[in-house]
Amino acid sequence: MSPTAVLYVAQAIHGLAYGMLLFLVASGLTLIFGMMGILNIAHASFAMLAAYFCFQVLQMTGNFWAALLIAPVFAGICGVVTERFLLRTVHKHGHLAELLITVGIMALILEIVKLFWGTESLVVKIPPSLSGLLNIAGLTYPVYRLFIIGVSIVILGLMALILYKTRLGKIVQAAVSDADMVSALGINTPLVFMLVFGIGIWLAGVAGAVAGPLLTVFPGMADQLGMDAFVVVVVGGFGSLLGAFIVALFLGELNAYGIQFIPRLAPVLMFAFMALVLAFKPMGLFGERE
Amino acid sequence: MRNKLYKWILWGVVVILVAILPRLVNFYYLNFFIAFAIFSLYAVTLNLLLGYMGVLSFGHAMFFGTGAYATALALTHIQGFPLLPAVLVGGLAGGLLALMLSPLLVRVSGTAFAMLTLAFGQLIFVAALKYREVTGGEDGIGGYPIPPLNLPGVLSIDMTDKINFYYFAIAVVAICLYILWFYTKTPFGSLVVGIRDNAMRMDYLGFNLPQTKAINLTVCGAFAGIAGAVHALLMKLVSTVGVLDIHTSFRPIVMAYVGGVGSFFGPIIGSGVLHILEDVVIRFTERIGLVNGAIFVLVVLFAPMGLVGLFRAAKEKWFHKGNAS
Repeated sequence: MSPTAVLYVAQAIHGLAYGMLLFLVASGLTLIFGMMGILNIAHASFAMLAAYFCFQVLQMTGNFWAALLIAPVFAGICGVVTERFLLRTVHKHGHLAELLITVGIMALILEIVKLFWGTESLVVKIPPSLSGLLNIAGLTYPVYRLFIIGVSIVILGLMALILYKTRLGKIVQAAVSDADMVSALGINTPLVFMLVFGIGIWLAGVAGAVAGPLLTVFPGMADQLGMDAFVVVVVGGFGSLLGAFIVALFLGELNAYGIQFIPRLAPVLMFAFMALVLAFKPMGLFGERE
Repeated sequence: MRNKLYKWILWGVVVILVAILPRLVNFYYLNFFIAFAIFSLYAVTLNLLLGYMGVLSFGHAMFFGTGAYATALALTHIQGFPLLPAVLVGGLAGGLLALMLSPLLVRVSGTAFAMLTLAFGQLIFVAALKYREVTGGEDGIGGYPIPPLNLPGVLSIDMTDKINFYYFAIAVVAICLYILWFYTKTPFGSLVVGIRDNAMRMDYLGFNLPQTKAINLTVCGAFAGIAGAVHALLMKLVSTVGVLDIHTSFRPIVMAYVGGVGSFFGPIIGSGVLHILEDVVIRFTERIGLVNGAIFVLVVLFAPMGLVGLFRAAKEKWFHKGNAS
């Protein structure tokens, strides 16, 4: 294979890895929005929190796998507490208040992170079994990126299985389309909401913990990951999982190739794409009309 | 009658206090007061959308920042650009941006509006960050001249003098606030509130909703732009992270909420409270963000109508017992 083709394939893999990460964050975001009508501005902040947890656990135990398992769970617990004690309290004041409280949480997480870990970038060391390059059919890939893609696929497969094949998944699907009706049928929707919020944050936490070694862990991480995931949800259509999946992969590739060919314009490209989509479809590509 | 007299006395005291402030405090607090005034105007424009039209602008910094950049660019590139046009250019730029975005923004409401404004705010932030030739990127634009206030043939006031600039900035903000206050009292202002309360009814009454929303957006954008322009003159430096970033968008939201979104003067009170708070907190700890965030969360949780709402509730409770009529 020619060197240019190798470069193209490598960029494609980069894009795929980042797109998968984006979808891990965006899927929770879009599920929460679809069910509860809350745009969780703090979503990526929880991902960042998980990345810091991951760093901390790694430092304390020295075991990357343990850190990868524990950190998202901690983040998920934080999410459940947030839902139970903050979001549910302001629920009676309407969606705007819920949106604003997540803004406050975002600011608080940012400050707490700075308070405990400082403002400099922290490097998460990956174990030797995941570092290095893998040689397949004459092409070399960084193993860690392949690992990210693998982890994402496994988790998304599990999620799809739960969502489409179990009773809980049916309830969640029903609650996305009409929460009041589900509640009237005698299902404890507040509990379902809490669970979905926790799982959504856990997904974001997995993305954050996995992304730690890739992006390094720093306080601006939430802004970077958050804005991209947010674009995914807006363009894909509010509350649409399929839309989020397609757009996340597309944006991942757009980002990767954009950085290769027009490095200066890459971030603008993404927002320009969003503006273009919204000009014709205000509710996103796969969103339903309000 | 007595109530009206009190009001006039109150306004008189405020005007006199503002007028003699330069004699009472040092330059630090003079600048502090100007910053408070600028952010009051900025937060009021946000509240015209949030409290009056019922939509949350998450990217309000794009109007503020565009105004600031327009003024800074005009002063940098055009030799001898006069002062008042410089401020007006800021307003014009903010208004123009709002007008350009309005065809998209008037079609949505609620969360979608918040998301769209956030998205466009970020688009403009990133674009400004990347176009270094024009905007200076993260370093921003600085070192532009501050022109004197010129009335041809009559007088010329040096604006590099701190006290002169203080009076100028306060006058600009006060005039803008008065115009906006008057604007909310016009039939058009009532129409905007009507859209918030019952859009469908306003539609059936024959009012043109998209047009009304677009005009209100443009007004808000223009005055936010003026606030940005005065900010550019005060700071003598405009940089993306200072005027266009997401935290510049969130600050007026916090101010409006702390003060009270339902009332015209709420955001002004909120701006004052937050500025004083920041000034006090910074003496004890550097974690201003933590304190601000905590206060914001508490206000949204327990006092959704802000300080003005609390004050009204207290007044209701203590003064209208017994003789409720």
